[in-house]
Amino acid sequence: MKALVIDSDAQIGVGETWGSPRRPVDYKVEALLARSAEAGIDRSCVMAPRNTLYDSPNKQVAELCEKYPAKLIGFAVHNPQREAGQLRRTLSEEVKVMGLKGVRSDGHPTRELLDAAVELNTPVVYYPDLSEYPGPARAYYMIATAYPSVTFILPHLGAYRSWQWWAHYEAMDLVKRFPNIYVGTSSVVSRKYLEMAARELPPQRILFGSNAPELDPRVEMYSVKLLKLPEQSEALILGDNMRRLLRL
Amino acid sequence: MASRGINPSRRTFLTSGGALLASQAVSRWAIGSGKNDGFISPGQGGQGKSLVIDCHAHVGICREPGTTQELSAPWETVADPELILRHAREAGIDKTVIFPINNTSYKEANEDIARMCQRYPEKFIGFARHDAQTESGKIRSMLFHEVHDLGLRGLKLHTQPNPEILDAAKELGIPILYDSNEHVELFEEFLPSYPTVNFIIPHLGSDQSANWPGHLMAIDLAKRYPNVHLDTAAVVMTRYLEKAAKELPAEQILFGSDEPEIDCRLEIFKIRLLNLPKEKEELILGGNILRLLGGRV
Repeated sequence: MKALVIDSDAQIGVGETWGSPRRPVDYKVEALLARSAEAGIDRSCVMAPRNTLYDSPNKQVAELCEKYPAKLIGFAVHNPQREAGQLRRTLSEEVKVMGLKGVRSDGHPTRELLDAAVELNTPVVYYPDLSEYPGPARAYYMIATAYPSVTFILPHLGAYRSWQWWAHYEAMDLVKRFPNIYVGTSSVVSRKYLEMAARELPPQRILFGSNAPELDPRVEMYSVKLLKLPEQSEALILGDNMRRLLRL
Repeated sequence: MASRGINPSRRTFLTSGGALLASQAVSRWAIGSGKNDGFISPGQGGQGKSLVIDCHAHVGICREPGTTQELSAPWETVADPELILRHAREAGIDKTVIFPINNTSYKEANEDIARMCQRYPEKFIGFARHDAQTESGKIRSMLFHEVHDLGLRGLKLHTQPNPEILDAAKELGIPILYDSNEHVELFEEFLPSYPTVNFIIPHLGSDQSANWPGHLMAIDLAKRYPNVHLDTAAVVMTRYLEKAAKELPAEQILFGSDEPEIDCRLEIFKIRLLNLPKEKEELILGGNILRLLGGRV
């Protein structure tokens, strides 16, 4: 039986790219679904691209997840600095009423965000701005230590497009030190670090992600397949881990 | 990688060398069909195929003893040829163009490349590398020696070429693969004066798509200058590969990987995904670089 494949890292809606140089984007759900299907992805965790305010983008994500319930799993996005004081209420509604299953932190997570994540039992996706921090380790030590019950997802194995290659080492070291940190696989260009992660980390802590539609999910899927892992480990990475995390 | 416990259909995928021929019909991909556990239905890749040549890989060690460069960044420390050979074998790549990693001057490093090509004559094609800023005045004689005596076939640059370099390349009839570090516009400083020299812009103009407008500039340049070619190494935003394949003659696109830092198995997969007509794909995967090298490798 084919294992369920869940993409931990996809985007839909209007906004700007997360990566630089930024450009305005309008990620269409139909294009995402078509390409994901070609890649063999069964379900996609989708979240909005970068925005100034996230109420409306998150609502749109929720609506699209309602339209395609078998295919999409919605995550909210919030900027904890900009939305200080309002986050808990907003995120509660998004999770309890709109059915979103996780939250991406656009900016360094605050206690307000993480307290809400604990209360709502949602994983937190956080990719630190590597122009602010020398690497992800510096950004993660305090949040992972102070909130051991929060599941953190560090996308791109810590370095989008492997540009800051040392961040891959830091990401792997973070996973080894903190049982509540998981890493996503999308955009890893220097594949030797993905291979290293597959060798050194428990497969339970690696999550397949594609960063679709910014990147091509067929390429990202192939990159994981190229690891040639034992079937069970591959199944964990491709979807079972995410299914467990989201209690699907 | 561990091979124990792999089920038969996955073994088929792996033993096919991962050689994937994009089918004209999407249905042949059988992705997610449940009909097999392999990611893509093994095609007929590998039999009766034309030469597949990776035009972009690095080999060597840093030849700067006593500098911080020796042990600072992965691509400036060591580039292992055995890793390239292993990946290339698996990917169905017949030959790889190799050139040195970063150094200040390149006499020794180019000799290393020549030695590596002698060790693996069926697998490697050597390019020299030089730097107009550090070797000015000495490059012409070095390059003539490297091409005529050491058998090197082209030139890799990471700094703007000067007339000494360009004239030598023109006389020798060798292609120049020049990485202008995201500044594709620098090519126009010399392109109009050297219409008979074949230039290759790596990474479709932007390494790892770090500066995606560079892809657009490179494609535009290739439209205006028929002697400009684009290599596909480490292009992350594959929509620009699609754009290049759609808007440029296939003759101007060259498959490259940037091994060993980048995995040629994934890079060639991106070309297969373009689902091009066979003749165009064969040009991109090897016919073009073969032509730029005078039909002889």
